[in-house]
Amino acid sequence: MSKKVEEHGAQELLSKVEIPLIPVLCDMEHEGVALDTAFLQDLSREMNTELENIQKSVFNTTGVEFNIDSPKQLGTVLFDTMKIPYKGKKTKSGQYSTSEDVLSKIASDYPIAREVLNYRETKKLKSTYVDALPALVNKETGRLHTTFNQTTAATGRLSSNTPNLQNIPIRTEKGRQVRKAFIPRDADHVLLSADYSQIELRIIAALSKEANMLEDFQKGLDIHSATAARVFGVKEDQVTREMRGKAKAVNFGLIYGQSAFGLSQQLQISRSEAADIIKSYFEKYSSIKQYMDNNIQFAKDNGYVETILGRRRYLPDIHSKNHTVRGFAERNAINAPIQGSAADMIKMAMIDVYRAMHEKGFKSKMTLQVHDELVFDALKDEVDDLQKLVVDKMQSAVEINVPIVVESGIGNNWLEAH
Amino acid sequence: MKKEDNDNRLFLLDAFALIYRGYYAFINNPLRNSRGQNVSAIVGFINTLYDLLSNEKPSHLAVVFDSSDDTTDRKKEHDFYKANREKMPEDIAYAIPIIKEIIDAFNIPRLELEGFEADDIIGTIAKKKEKDHKVYMVTPDKDFAQLVSSNIFMYKPSRQGKGVEILGVDEVKKKWDVDQPEQVIDILGLWGDSVDNIPGIPGIGEKTAKKLVKQYGSVEGLIENAEKLSGKQKENVIQFSEQGLISKKLATIILDVPVDVSDDDLVVSEPDKEKLREIFAKLEFRNIGKKILGDDYSANVKTEGQIDIFGSQTDEIQAGKDLNNTDHNYHILNSKEDISKFIADVHTAGVVAFDTETSGLDPITATLVGMSFCIKAGSAYYIHLSEVHDEACKTLDAFREIFEDKKILKIGQDIKFDMHVLKNYKLEIDGPIFDTMVAHYLVEPEKRHTLEYLSEPFSATLQ
Repeated sequence: MSKKVEEHGAQELLSKVEIPLIPVLCDMEHEGVALDTAFLQDLSREMNTELENIQKSVFNTTGVEFNIDSPKQLGTVLFDTMKIPYKGKKTKSGQYSTSEDVLSKIASDYPIAREVLNYRETKKLKSTYVDALPALVNKETGRLHTTFNQTTAATGRLSSNTPNLQNIPIRTEKGRQVRKAFIPRDADHVLLSADYSQIELRIIAALSKEANMLEDFQKGLDIHSATAARVFGVKEDQVTREMRGKAKAVNFGLIYGQSAFGLSQQLQISRSEAADIIKSYFEKYSSIKQYMDNNIQFAKDNGYVETILGRRRYLPDIHSKNHTVRGFAERNAINAPIQGSAADMIKMAMIDVYRAMHEKGFKSKMTLQVHDELVFDALKDEVDDLQKLVVDKMQSAVEINVPIVVESGIGNNWLEAH
Repeated sequence: MKKEDNDNRLFLLDAFALIYRGYYAFINNPLRNSRGQNVSAIVGFINTLYDLLSNEKPSHLAVVFDSSDDTTDRKKEHDFYKANREKMPEDIAYAIPIIKEIIDAFNIPRLELEGFEADDIIGTIAKKKEKDHKVYMVTPDKDFAQLVSSNIFMYKPSRQGKGVEILGVDEVKKKWDVDQPEQVIDILGLWGDSVDNIPGIPGIGEKTAKKLVKQYGSVEGLIENAEKLSGKQKENVIQFSEQGLISKKLATIILDVPVDVSDDDLVVSEPDKEKLREIFAKLEFRNIGKKILGDDYSANVKTEGQIDIFGSQTDEIQAGKDLNNTDHNYHILNSKEDISKFIADVHTAGVVAFDTETSGLDPITATLVGMSFCIKAGSAYYIHLSEVHDEACKTLDAFREIFEDKKILKIGQDIKFDMHVLKNYKLEIDGPIFDTMVAHYLVEPEKRHTLEYLSEPFSATLQ
């Protein structure tokens, strides 16, 4: 096995990252987190009332009562009974689609669509988290012990289950409420959260050595505004909200190898406009384009791509003659080194933080890792020192030629700390 | 299907259609073996073949291949016929000789005739044999509906959980809305078929084609009555009448291929299990091997990519090795003396692989039932632990010096779980550790990393 690991160039990654991470994860899981079950019970009741209210309001608008949870009945009511024009394709079984996409598109003209979306979000949150989390609390320890999977995601990222922390929504107000339920151990503790800012874009800038983007990061600019200023050829103070929104979409889409078509769909703009934006983007950030092409070429030559710490992702389909299959591999050739490098970085940081905490005899505990964020159950007496230590170790985890920014906060629950 | 009919049933398999279907069924997540070969086509085909063999237990069967030399009469006549077909995907081209080898090992007749396509061969044999056989054309290809008669059936293998579908005359009539199966040819002639590059008549799709054939009986009938049509449709039928007739010809399965097979040529014999075992092992087919050859089948064949926890010591692993013909030395640690001897051996070896046997899978609450250890290949130890927590702690205390040793390498599979469990017994692991699951994750990130998978290295994950 060791021989095999060596053949795959993974010796260092294994001995310096993955193996030392095992006791770190084990301690985090064993420690667990405290959950405010009373808060969740109240939230559950509130959500019930809200669901009933939405339901009443929907029935008022439609004039008929039906099962909102049934996509079939909902489709019939919206598009047959109410005669809302239907633009999408029907599903395989000949039904109307009532997917988030379809409903979002008509939401500005038909408030009922917004209400249904709201209903679904509430219902989903309630069943997946608000009602489910308390049941996961361990009867013996009284705490919630999530499981971190170290070998599930091919990109190198960690995933978690019971509960799946990755899926807790952070973009909506209601989703954020769930984070409020994660609380410190007791009155002597607070939660500390530390989060890498724009880590994937910083990694692209560093790996591609894209001078323009590196400059923007070095100046500490808001990266999406800076991108908008470059792409649309305006001064930074002339960047409109809309321009920033478009620039942001390209910045993120880029990480996943998004096409002009994908971008046009996402921004609801024409394909030619999307193509123009991407063209201008790659003119301003020509090294990024070069970097992406190089990655694909590297995958073709070597059969894999790799991260800053040499984590490989094997892409046999890069040679496929089927263009859908090949396209998927090409997007992975771009995406895997970026996501994987971000994973390398936070894993190194976890090990460094864990060791430093042990050496310095901290009683506080690292408890959660989700996306680019670490959460600690911190003794109030230690929290200031711990915060400095964590930010420092996160910033210096992997030597990389771009400023790394870590945002951190302290609070009486996860939402407050984040 | 009545059992007494068994004797006169004849199954004809449309090889390429079934192979393509298998390949595309896994297109988003192709099955690969350790050498990275895409084996979807092989797996898909074998599964279909084996399901048929075990469900129908046919006595007469043949697998029919298209000729590699693609110069049928039809093609010679019309350049555009099947010109649309993309070149065969490389993974299918690679799979075909292997599939042929497997069919031969099954001792199943295989037919191929230079210059002819499989559908023509199947059609010809079906018509010849229908006098004294019930013929089942095994294919997902709808075109075969035209051949269905009182003794010829279409047999669509199950897919995506849908069961086998058998189409007789009544089913074809209903499905195609025709008075007799031959009219399927007329529908295809009008409708066209983009896969085979049959143009049909412009503006006529499936529904219109069915309606027009219902009304006018045939392509010829429609052309004769073109004046009764109206608008664009009338124009198209008149302008493209020639193309419609050619399309009909292209859609017609030829029934006079010079092929002569006797019933004896179509008899299914017992499979050559040795040969199959060899082929499956080479392909690293684990589940299929077990399914077809029985539970004692193991794909545990030494391959170049073999993962060895203990380096060269497992080099002698070969096909067919199992507990009964492999040296092994398994001990139960019963007494204090056993334990101290074992611990001394671990110190000498400097390495120990271990695993916890627990009452459950939640590591925070799991209680120990026992633990197993291994110091070198072929030699293992097991210790049973008391259900009483304090008793078990006492027994385990003897092992503390190993687990806390700063030099001894502790090897586990998902060692994090074992560390949790040991924590519950106040044992902390210190010193160097190694995790086979985590190591394998870096070698094959996309694959499973279970012990079963690692024990039969690099087997394709085949159902």
